[in-house]
Amino acid sequence: MKPTAGRDDLLALAESLVRFGRVCGADEIEVGVGDGTEFSVDVRLGEIENLVEAGSRSMGLRIIKDKKTAFASSSDLDEETLKRLIRNAVQRAELSSRDEFSGLPTLSKRSVDSAALSIYDPEIERLDSKTKIGLALETERIALADKRITNSHGASFVTNDGTAVLASSNGFLGRFQKSYCSLSVGLQAGATDDMVEDFWFSSQSHFEALERPEQIARTAVERTVRQLKPRKIKTQKVPVIFEPMMTSGLLGFLFSCVAGTAIYQKSSFLVGKLGRRIATDAITVVDDGRMPGKLGTSPFDSEGVPSRRTVVVQKGILKNYLCNTYAARKLKLRSTGNADGGGVGPNNFYLEPGPHAPSDIIRSCEKGLVLIRTLGHGQNPVNGDISQGAFGLWIEKGEIAYPVSEITISGNLGELLKNVEMVGSDLEFRGSICGPTIKVAEMMIAGT
Amino acid sequence: MTARQPDPTICPRIPFEDHFRLSHDDLQRALGIAQSSGGRFAEVFLEYRAYSFVLMEEDIIKETAESISLGMGIRVVSGEKTGFGYTNDLAFDKIRRAALSAAAIAASPTTVKVVDLKAVPVARDVYRVREGLHRAPLEKKIGLVKEAYAACQKSSRAVKKVKAALQDSIQYVMIANSDGLLVTDARPLVKLTCLAIAEKGRLREYGFSGGGGRVGLEYFASALTPRRIGTEAAREALNLLEARPAPAGEMPVVLSPGHAGVLIHEAVGHLLEADFNRKKTSVFWDKFGRKIGSDLITIYDDPTIPAFRGSYNIDDEGTLPRKTLLIEKGVIKGLLQDRLSAGLMKMPLTGHARRQDYSDIPLPRMANTYIEKGESDPAGIIRSVKKGFYADKFQGGQVEDSGKFTFSVSSGFLIEDGKLTAPVKQATLIGSNVDILNKIEMVGHDLTFGLQTGTCSKEGQDVPVTDGCPTLKISKMTVGGLG
Repeated sequence: MKPTAGRDDLLALAESLVRFGRVCGADEIEVGVGDGTEFSVDVRLGEIENLVEAGSRSMGLRIIKDKKTAFASSSDLDEETLKRLIRNAVQRAELSSRDEFSGLPTLSKRSVDSAALSIYDPEIERLDSKTKIGLALETERIALADKRITNSHGASFVTNDGTAVLASSNGFLGRFQKSYCSLSVGLQAGATDDMVEDFWFSSQSHFEALERPEQIARTAVERTVRQLKPRKIKTQKVPVIFEPMMTSGLLGFLFSCVAGTAIYQKSSFLVGKLGRRIATDAITVVDDGRMPGKLGTSPFDSEGVPSRRTVVVQKGILKNYLCNTYAARKLKLRSTGNADGGGVGPNNFYLEPGPHAPSDIIRSCEKGLVLIRTLGHGQNPVNGDISQGAFGLWIEKGEIAYPVSEITISGNLGELLKNVEMVGSDLEFRGSICGPTIKVAEMMIAGT
Repeated sequence: MTARQPDPTICPRIPFEDHFRLSHDDLQRALGIAQSSGGRFAEVFLEYRAYSFVLMEEDIIKETAESISLGMGIRVVSGEKTGFGYTNDLAFDKIRRAALSAAAIAASPTTVKVVDLKAVPVARDVYRVREGLHRAPLEKKIGLVKEAYAACQKSSRAVKKVKAALQDSIQYVMIANSDGLLVTDARPLVKLTCLAIAEKGRLREYGFSGGGGRVGLEYFASALTPRRIGTEAAREALNLLEARPAPAGEMPVVLSPGHAGVLIHEAVGHLLEADFNRKKTSVFWDKFGRKIGSDLITIYDDPTIPAFRGSYNIDDEGTLPRKTLLIEKGVIKGLLQDRLSAGLMKMPLTGHARRQDYSDIPLPRMANTYIEKGESDPAGIIRSVKKGFYADKFQGGQVEDSGKFTFSVSSGFLIEDGKLTAPVKQATLIGSNVDILNKIEMVGHDLTFGLQTGTCSKEGQDVPVTDGCPTLKISKMTVGGLG
């Protein structure tokens, strides 16, 4: 158990800590160890701004004694520190309350082959610094070549590569390796007092799947300049079209409302709605931890429960809450493999695409708003209320007429889901939560 | 080079050497390696943080947690370029690797002489701790959580769920740089929070309250009791059950004192962070010394307010912070600086360099930001509005460099004929900063600071902050409610 042990020794370290926990009196113990490397370069106006290279390790554990739970974590993997944390955790557990729902999952007979998931790309580790810096420089250079762009927030290329190991006293022992890369650029257009800004990015687990600098730069430029010379609009109710990134934001909100932890805590408007209609027929939402090559994919969750595909909303009917073992026991359900630290997190959580081309969705609006960006955090899971600052494109007679800013959109997620009239065909996986373009029949827009 | 003993005058109670297991000699060597490619400035940031957490929900102490964060960040600055490496393994070969990663940013073979480190005692102490929570037995912490929980639950039968949590940490930092600086700080931080969910028929609302800061256990016996935190969370949830949707459209807005400091944080504070001005991305970059808002507005950021969450004895580059005038009577007078921007802009340091932890590069950040009190009577401010919106409780906000900002109001009131009337809920206020600063018509004499629970995010780094302001009247602003 040396802190300088190689990656192959991570399993041995985790196992030895599980054994030590049992010796100290834990009824159950689960130990996760992570080992990762990070590279990131930020460039701005053609020069390197920041260059970061590092490796780090971390350990997290959960102990249950007499149905009482204690957690601990450390970035210091010194043997004495880890042993002390385990002894402390066993002692602290005594001061927690007895909770019949606590405890590790029972060991699953099923397991997911991590190699088949294709979430590790060895090529990323082999990229040399010059190539990585070059990608960021190239992306920004192409964007700045457009005369309409007046300033740059810079471009970044980031890679991560990590190994996760989990050992539990229930007999689980697992390990997987995961990689990540992303390329992004942020831009401004217009004079200082009429400035607009936006960014674009690509992120993938495989380098070859990453969008090229040209594509990212062009999209970032287009997204920025289309906001130039915005107008203000009157307060009114109109149809709202969510671009894919905006739908993803909405799905993130939906995720927090279908999380089993929010359900048993009654902090979601979807409490008691299982089996009921919560959305139009056009809405099918899935959480799938086994999609090859996707950013939300992994063979098992943070409790060692094998990943699976869970239909959350099927044609508008709420089918499943997403649970870790604890929330599942509280709700008399089964874990969906969504344990994430002490809570619940998404795997690949997405809205299935529909039949409509995004351009047809815009054409279907006599008058309306394309929502392109939001500002602020006005989403309340307890009642589903939404109220956010917004930027958009105004639609007149089925065509984009002009950009609008300094408006807010407000509505309620529960009502909004029942008012989705069209779902686009343009689903792309840019993160672990994603959705295509959607059209909502009506929302309140506050302006002048 | 002689081996140095730690100076006992720095902070005699803190066993820095025990945590880091590194001598001053090791630090000096690390700086030497960091400068081996000719980097002009090198810095080592060592951190040891011990964190503790207690959670109560569903009437039981559900979990406790303990977390240790140990690591070193090594930075080399060469002109506008920063090289950075970090490690949480303090074996010297790992430190060497991190130092070499950082060194790579500079690419000249010039030899840079490493100045001998000289420990500088920090005379100031802005922390107010008699009985540190990091030394308190867990039973005492559990006691605080239970008290807040019980008070909240007992407030009303309509309160259906309560969640109370205590988080405390002690962060030891040691900063050494190639100018020879060697300083340490030991920063305590505490936060007790309570969340209440109340139900009435099919309506469900939540309320939140909390407090803490750079304080000890005694704070909860006098300054702010757990009982008050619990009842306040319940009261907010219960009030929201009676509230109707907020209005939509442009109207006069009055902001309650304290919580509304988040407006200044978003609308002004972020865009006066030096990096955005140096890069000319902030709407303020070309307005230094110019009048951008109402005469009534004077804004400071002061990292030295005793016991506040956003306060510190030294910033994360080892600079002594000072109360910084940002806006005086509507004129931009200052920026929040870190070493990089201050050096390039040839402006004085203000002590506002902060980082989330050892694995992050420091950035210019806010600490405790507030609008100076004015002269108006708060009741008179409300009386002056015929028809408008009173924004009472806030959840947070966001700003972009153009100055467009939002902040979320969780509850407020309609103002009709100079009186607060119907309670309303959930609205987002949106505006453009220069426009709104010019529309501030009245400033109350009731400067108040918001809850000691705030956290600010920038470029993925979270740091604790406090905001404050007196009652404010904005002549016209877009309110985004459900109508």
